Amino acid sequence: MNHQHINKIMLAGVLVIAFALPLVVRSATYLHILVLLFFYAYLTTSWNIVGGFAGVLPLGHAAFVGIGAYTSTILSLQYGISPWLGMLVGGVLATIVGVIISLPTLKMRGAYFALATIAFAEGIRVMVENIDYIGPLKLNGPRGLQIPPLQTGLEHFMFASKEPYYYIILIMLLAVMLMTYLISRAKLGYYLMAGGEEPEAAMALGVNVARAKLIAMAISSFLTALAGTFYAQFSLYIHPKSIISLDMSFEIAFIALIGGRGSIFGPILGALLLRPVGDFCRIYFGDTLPGLHLVIFGLVLIFVMLYQPRGIQEPISRAYQALLNRLAPTPSPRTVKLGEIRS
Amino acid sequence: MLYIIEDMINGILMGSIYGLTAMGLTIIFGVLKVINFAHGSLLMVGLYATYWAITLTGIHPYLALFMVIPAMFVFGYYLQDIVIKPIFIAEKNVREPITVIIVTTGIWYILDNLTLLLFGPQYRSIPDNPLQGQMFEIGTMFVSAPKFYGFLTAIVTACAIHWFMQKTIMGRAIRATSMDREAASLMGINQYRIYNVAFGIGAATAGIAAVTLIPFNNIFPTVGVLFDIKGFIIVVLGGLGSISGALIGGIIVGLIESVGPQFMTATWTEAIVYGLFLLVLFVKPSGLFGQKHDW
Repeated sequence: MNHQHINKIMLAGVLVIAFALPLVVRSATYLHILVLLFFYAYLTTSWNIVGGFAGVLPLGHAAFVGIGAYTSTILSLQYGISPWLGMLVGGVLATIVGVIISLPTLKMRGAYFALATIAFAEGIRVMVENIDYIGPLKLNGPRGLQIPPLQTGLEHFMFASKEPYYYIILIMLLAVMLMTYLISRAKLGYYLMAGGEEPEAAMALGVNVARAKLIAMAISSFLTALAGTFYAQFSLYIHPKSIISLDMSFEIAFIALIGGRGSIFGPILGALLLRPVGDFCRIYFGDTLPGLHLVIFGLVLIFVMLYQPRGIQEPISRAYQALLNRLAPTPSPRTVKLGEIRS
Repeated sequence: MLYIIEDMINGILMGSIYGLTAMGLTIIFGVLKVINFAHGSLLMVGLYATYWAITLTGIHPYLALFMVIPAMFVFGYYLQDIVIKPIFIAEKNVREPITVIIVTTGIWYILDNLTLLLFGPQYRSIPDNPLQGQMFEIGTMFVSAPKFYGFLTAIVTACAIHWFMQKTIMGRAIRATSMDREAASLMGINQYRIYNVAFGIGAATAGIAAVTLIPFNNIFPTVGVLFDIKGFIIVVLGGLGSISGALIGGIIVGLIESVGPQFMTATWTEAIVYGLFLLVLFVKPSGLFGQKHDW
């Protein structure tokens, strides 16, 4: 039994637990919390492709969530198009917007890029709040859109219970994690990391950093918009203040930074740490101590940045590595004597 | 026509107060090269400090300046010294201090929500406000008196900071550090102490802005967020690091907000401000009036 075997067994175990969880957790509240946990883990993993690998700090990803949610909702409400198809349309639309906004902004230095993405997302929110109709499309301004739960079923992306949503977001999360894994192993991943750490050096070696970042941004905005459709179908109500909010953009970035930027398991670890803290604070101290969870978020963020700037994934993966060594000690490299080589 | 002139006057007055709220942001950026996301929260802390100073002692709102300025300076000084400095030291070799931006975001969340925990979400305004609804009458136009005083305060503050930066030894040390950290360190300037002082001055100007805002502004825990985003826009419009740029950027935003509603729905002006901001970022990221080292 070597390390790879153990890794595979652990992975299989985690997957079995994840898929079997709704059989054990029967409470709708807890399932709701789990769905939102995976939703945020998904968003953060998508964010990580550009925010983690490419070394920039986008703080406006909620705009893409909004584009995805509004596109599929309008298409299904007004034209009866299945949200599954609307999801893809929203993704393509978000990709176009993401590329347009990235062309001028990705060249900017870190702080300017962060500010530009904030202004972009806030600008989109203000516009959606002020527009009731774009031609025949009804946005309904600040009142938002309600999705009447008329037909349920897989083709309508609408279910009476929470379990189907759980499985959909779980599969989406696994797919996007696999995708980041593949990207990190592909040329694009290396380009992004090189460009994020030492842009000049990377460019000197012939890496087209700007192009790599643009591709990352396109992928990231596409994936983020898909989650917007999921959110719309899950909550059945979207309005600009909730779905294109600065709070959501910041929460995505917080989870990524606390979990570990640019690592594959960082976002899910961050979501596993932060989301339950937030939910339980809201449930148990929501009346007496409002805002407690955000104080905790801020404190955790500062302490992680001070003592574990690479996120909590680092100590966790180190502990896991130690466990692996305990379970299957690697044989220490054999010292080769000179005589052996000669003969 | 007269309406537009009245709106323009009010826009300039309110805009200069916006500029005052953003002045600390630009000072801190000029020296630390960091966008302080917690600046709106510093303003919020200043507003609460002013509120309690006035409520507990019953003094005239503007006299609270003498308590709020030193209190905010000390607050900013030690906030930088205790929370932000360790990151600077740890990331000495990193050119772009993204981690520091993130830490200031953490400070923002902590300050806003601690205030919510301590004082609750209700809107407050100072009791027995002597400036309530005071107006100057110019012909048929009305100009709000506290906003006019705020305009004067903004100009005086800008001049005072300019004088401080040009004429005092500490000001020169701050300018030297903002131009070249390493060279300044070699000249015997303790750069981290300069950061503390710059952050303290930034917080103190947020305190001044808070005192000028309090006669006509409600306070609540997230009041800073309104000025936070606006502050970013103002300082980028005027040029990050430029004090006069902050005032001018503020006045531009103030004018758009006050004259715009004559021509469109009031909420659309916000979209115009964001659009202008993005345009400036794309076309001239150094800002409309920004020079490299403009004090």
